Amino acid sequence: MTTMPSLAVEATAPARTSAPEHLVVSGATKRFGAVTVLDDLSISVAKGEFVSLLGPSGCGKTTLLRCVAGLLRLDRGRILVAGAEITRLPAHKRNIGVVFQNYALFPHLTVAENLGFGLRAQGVSRAEAAPRVAEALALVRMTEHADKPVTALSGGQQQRVAVARALAVRPSLLLLDEPFSALDRKLREVMQVELKHLLREVGITAIFVTHDQEEALVVSDRIAVMNAGRIEQLADPATLYGRPASLYVLDFVGQSTRLTGQVMESAEGEVTVDTPLGRVRAPGLFLSGSQVVVAVRPEAMMLDGVAAGMPPSAGINRLTTRIREVSFLGSRTLLHLEVPDSGTTVNRALIELPRLPEGASPGNPVTVAFRAADTMVFPAS
Amino acid sequence: MSVSAAAPPASSLSAARAALPQLPRRLDPLALLALPALLFMAVVFLMPLLLLLWASVRAEGGFSLAGYVRVLGDSYYIGVIGNSLRLGLVTAFGALLLGYPAAFALARARGYAQAILFALVFLPLTVSIIVKSFGWGIVLRRDGILNWLLISLGLIERPLRMLFTEESLYAGMINVFLPFMVLPIYSVVRMLDPRLSEAAATLGASPLFRFLRITLPLSLPGVVAGLSIVFSLAVAAYVTPSLLMGDRYMTMSMVMAKAFLNLRDWQLGSAMAAVLLALAVAVVVGAGLLQRRLARHGQ
Repeated sequence: MTTMPSLAVEATAPARTSAPEHLVVSGATKRFGAVTVLDDLSISVAKGEFVSLLGPSGCGKTTLLRCVAGLLRLDRGRILVAGAEITRLPAHKRNIGVVFQNYALFPHLTVAENLGFGLRAQGVSRAEAAPRVAEALALVRMTEHADKPVTALSGGQQQRVAVARALAVRPSLLLLDEPFSALDRKLREVMQVELKHLLREVGITAIFVTHDQEEALVVSDRIAVMNAGRIEQLADPATLYGRPASLYVLDFVGQSTRLTGQVMESAEGEVTVDTPLGRVRAPGLFLSGSQVVVAVRPEAMMLDGVAAGMPPSAGINRLTTRIREVSFLGSRTLLHLEVPDSGTTVNRALIELPRLPEGASPGNPVTVAFRAADTMVFPAS
Repeated sequence: MSVSAAAPPASSLSAARAALPQLPRRLDPLALLALPALLFMAVVFLMPLLLLLWASVRAEGGFSLAGYVRVLGDSYYIGVIGNSLRLGLVTAFGALLLGYPAAFALARARGYAQAILFALVFLPLTVSIIVKSFGWGIVLRRDGILNWLLISLGLIERPLRMLFTEESLYAGMINVFLPFMVLPIYSVVRMLDPRLSEAAATLGASPLFRFLRITLPLSLPGVVAGLSIVFSLAVAAYVTPSLLMGDRYMTMSMVMAKAFLNLRDWQLGSAMAAVLLALAVAVVVGAGLLQRRLARHGQ
């Protein structure tokens, strides 16, 4: 299951160990014809760190991964691993492991032969490779399947073989391209935790490519949200969720209430915004009259009855509307609220509650409350 | 043929069948679709074949293996069989040498380049073998284009004898049968996942190691298919050897033609035909078995 990170906006990010930078990509640019897929992108990853490249298809995340692996050449920019420049090295001289989206297991070889392939390719003798293959098999609990053809394995087993095959050559860095996308939802959630644990034990530096924000939140120490060949924000999951740097990041990570409006007042680091559901106060520095989007995470919203106990000085925003739809999700319930003037796709309102309140059915009036401090303001794009 | 093979186990049809185990397993109705082709082949192929086999063992008094004794006991005819086998093997492996890389180029090419390459593979098929073989004659003659070219370039002083040599026959045969090598290999290579080679590269495998351990083994089913098709066609070839070599290089098909058309020796012709058939069947069946093994290993 996904564990939502701490929501307090002011929560300090877990102190990152100041390990030396292990992978450094600087000024990476890649064009395919007229399309710029990587646009002067830079990123550094610390030793032992797990970083996700998150973004929609076409944002350049897989291209970046392939450039780091040596399967594509950068047009401009440099790539360094452990201080050594590898920008021009061919893939087979980089010692960077890759777990492919479809795993790319060798179909004509057994599980053990797949695991031993890299060692044999690097000139390790059969006798010397055997114990290391056995070790890799044990690592992913596939020892009993050693002599099976890889095509006889389930999806989860294939993924484990792909990971073990990449780790068997002790790469300096592991790249994983959508490693969970071929698994069904239930298995995916199990494997995410299992793989994270395994890689942590091995102590390797890993980069995940994914378009699934929940997956990124689960597996990463830091997440790079990518947009059109650039990194929009690089931060730990809690910061990314609690303090998204832009509407794009807000949109891509988690759900939120979003209301377009105009700034009516701006004073002392606080703005008052006129939205279709009423006035909302939020911390922010915007000129009066500017068009903005205010956003609130669904679990930061309360039904008014709950909020009534809060002191009035807490800076509470209150909005009254009607319930549009109720989504029961087991451990929580989402109420989708009516927003007048929701002609734009931006406007939507939803509140997350631990349990379904009485009288919460479509059409009923409802008043929601949320702290001004939990309210985010972005310039309207 | 695989038409009669059961539908994939996942299909609802076989699932329903599995749910009724007490019913005797009957012929898949889909197998009936092969019936027209089977009838057609029975009339135009199986019957003449049986008549031919019958003719190969028929004698004045009734039954005799004299035809086979003549074919397999005579060093001349053994030499002819050897000629045919050598021609088949050289043609098959020569076509493999040229066709294997071509199939990769065809599989990797995109857009116009692929269309042009496809045309280059298919166009020769549209030219009659007779026309092509005469064309070879024009090119390779003592006063032909190739000799003229070589002399003009100053590479040779006197025209070389190129026509009616075994080398020219091999070249001509490879030219005729190359498409039958390229197409089956292409159809296998096209399906190869390029990520397999990439995965091997990220594991530290050099380009040569990748080719030998990944690409080559996975393309073998296409290679086996191409070899068996080209060998079967080349070992039975008649027109190209007759036109490029004539009596100087007798093949089994040429002996058969002579036996039937000139000598009216039905016993000799049909016995030779039966031997050729046995060779071809052995190659096709052997290749089929090899392919199944490769496929099972490569699943």
